Amino acid sequence: MNSRRAAAWGLVVALITGSGGAAVSQQDEAVKGASHQGKILQQQHMMHGMAPVGDGLVWRMPPMDPNMPMMPGLEASLPSVMPFIPMYGKDVADFPAATPRQVMELVDGDQIELTASIVRREISGREYLMFGYNGQYPGPLLKAPTGATVTVLFRNEIPMPTTVHWHGLRLDNRFDGVPEMTQNPILTGETFRYEVYFADTGVFWYHPHMREDIQQDLGLYGNLLAVSSDPDYYGEAHQEEFLILDDILLDEQGIIPWGETQPTHALMGRFGNAMLVNGTTDYFLEVLRGAVVRFYVTNVANSRTFNVTFGGAPIKIVASDVGKFEREEWVTSVPIAPAERYVVEVLFDEPGDVPIENTVQAINHFRGEFYPHVDHLGMVRVADDAAEPDLSAAFVNLRENLDVQNDIETFRSHFGRAPDHELELSLEVGELPLPIILSMEFERGLYSPPMEWNETMPMMNWLATGNEIRWILRDRATGLENMDIQWSFEVGDVVKIRIFNNPETLHPMNHPIHIHGQRYLVLDMDGVPNPNMVWKDTAIVPVASTMDLLVDITNPGDWMLHCHIAEHLHAGMMLAFRVDG
Amino acid sequence: MVSRHRRHLVAESLLAAALFSTLGLTVLPPGGAIGAAWAEAFAVTAACDMGWMVTPTSPPAYYAIELVSTRRVPGARNASGVGDVSFARSPFGIAVTPTGEYIYNVDLQVQGLNAQSRGVYTAWLTTSALDQVKRLGGLDVGGAIRGQTTWNKFLVVITLEPDEEARQRWSGPIVARGMSRSGRMHTMAGHGPFQLEPCTTYGY
Repeated sequence: MNSRRAAAWGLVVALITGSGGAAVSQQDEAVKGASHQGKILQQQHMMHGMAPVGDGLVWRMPPMDPNMPMMPGLEASLPSVMPFIPMYGKDVADFPAATPRQVMELVDGDQIELTASIVRREISGREYLMFGYNGQYPGPLLKAPTGATVTVLFRNEIPMPTTVHWHGLRLDNRFDGVPEMTQNPILTGETFRYEVYFADTGVFWYHPHMREDIQQDLGLYGNLLAVSSDPDYYGEAHQEEFLILDDILLDEQGIIPWGETQPTHALMGRFGNAMLVNGTTDYFLEVLRGAVVRFYVTNVANSRTFNVTFGGAPIKIVASDVGKFEREEWVTSVPIAPAERYVVEVLFDEPGDVPIENTVQAINHFRGEFYPHVDHLGMVRVADDAAEPDLSAAFVNLRENLDVQNDIETFRSHFGRAPDHELELSLEVGELPLPIILSMEFERGLYSPPMEWNETMPMMNWLATGNEIRWILRDRATGLENMDIQWSFEVGDVVKIRIFNNPETLHPMNHPIHIHGQRYLVLDMDGVPNPNMVWKDTAIVPVASTMDLLVDITNPGDWMLHCHIAEHLHAGMMLAFRVDG
Repeated sequence: MVSRHRRHLVAESLLAAALFSTLGLTVLPPGGAIGAAWAEAFAVTAACDMGWMVTPTSPPAYYAIELVSTRRVPGARNASGVGDVSFARSPFGIAVTPTGEYIYNVDLQVQGLNAQSRGVYTAWLTTSALDQVKRLGGLDVGGAIRGQTTWNKFLVVITLEPDEEARQRWSGPIVARGMSRSGRMHTMAGHGPFQLEPCTTYGY
């Protein structure tokens, strides 16, 4: 996972040039500068879209915003890894069509089978070969009472080694799904028996922990719901819906290949250009007028942070990763980073169509501008008929969750003390083409936004692979980095971790930080204390921000802390810690 | 680790109280064991070794705005200051509007202002194009004021207004001004690697 093998670079390239003049000579200079690694295909930009010669899979440049011109000198550049599509050359007709997610209602002691396999999926009217759990998109929703343990007999039928990580569950370390830490990779055709313990009430998810940038992107994800025995755990709602947000990178020829030995898009992560809700581009929900819908929202995208809106309908935030907030609040949108979950209740009190959208202020670095950008995610159709019973009175009531407050109160004495560990988030950039290095140097002294809502420099991002990029978690006390950090704790420890996202790197970026097997509170960020906490397992650390986390160490074993942008994880941004007891 | 934490429970409670109090939040002494720790804390404050205590997180220096004097206003020619920019409090950590703009707290602190008999030092935020202006209000006696904005790019303007009237735009002379870090982001057309790109194609 953390291997930093040298690039398997073996492409033989052809030089095609066809213009002259001053522009070309400058471009040639840039190309010369960029060719120091021998990574350049000196051909016109449009040739990236050329048909493959022979049977081999070749790179083609991902689509990019036509308003962003190609950086001179990069027109012919390719990533330093070979292109890879796991099902390349296979016929879609040979594989079964995936079916929509089903709910598996489980009780303590149940045993189920879960199989990862190749499926046929339709996205925007076109068929693709992708992956699915139990042939479904997303994977089946596993719903069990809080405190239940369910045995999952997992079988790997995808053509890659894999594991299953039960994200957010404080389960037995043996079943955390981290290859070469808690288990061996599950090879194609092999099985593994997981004991999945639903320790906490909340919404969680499961996904591979090997080459997530590929496997998760191809559809291997599903929700877990731990249901409280308290029927009033949440407020009243007419219905519950699960929204799994994702994106996928497509062009006219299909899915853009991934890197074979290392991920591409290692700078900003792989942003997709087709937005998916529950695996489709046309999510649709019908409700009655006055309906209160509880949405369990999960972001499974490789890199994209969404800002979800419901057409102006009132939104009440109820819970996040590992349970409820101390108190409910009104919000106007739901910003959600990769791997986070939020539970919101929305009142649809007007008949008509209500769009679900991702509304952000994107950046066009070429123009030096923010600009509004909206992605359509889905539609809620509100009927004229009224929902029964009328829950509007209950909806306007913001609940105080005394159970959560009392739980958190027992940790309050730790809020103000010094951090036990301080991490700095940083970046090392290796031999990228010279125009990219120059551009990053140029940008460094100017402005990096707190969040990358869109892929601001797509060509640069695509070319940066795990061979050239190393994302870093640096322990400020020891100077150790990533997997060289080996923290040790004991069950019962309460550990304060301060995380600083260093903006003075060549390309700073926001990082959603995930801690395995434990739960934590976000105490404050940038001097703004958090007066309404919720237990988390993943939280976003914006560029230049400093965030204090308080980790409740309850679960023994060997665990990970890492960035949940899939490409950052595989470019090194992870550490391990041991909990004894 | 736990034992160390318990040893400092008393001082920690105090610090938390002080921190929250500073930020204008009411802190009620909790009950039970924590409440007892509070009582003990108030009794032993003087004995506490405060040296180990945590420095709270602070606004990112990276986004701080330098306020520079115009040197045009008598009594304020040596004005200088800083504007701290941080996310407004949000249950999501990051604070954004439904249309995606950041919601920022802007904390201004200006030094070098002599007391004025001719008016009131007043803080304003405005867009880069100066087409929208928001009055934050008069600086306090310490030269500070807090405001909030949802502009992703903005300017800070400190003026000497004749009075405390809540005008829509400033009317007095500009004492100092600064620019959000995002203001440094500008078009690459005609610059750097895009030197040969025709600016007019992109409206510049």
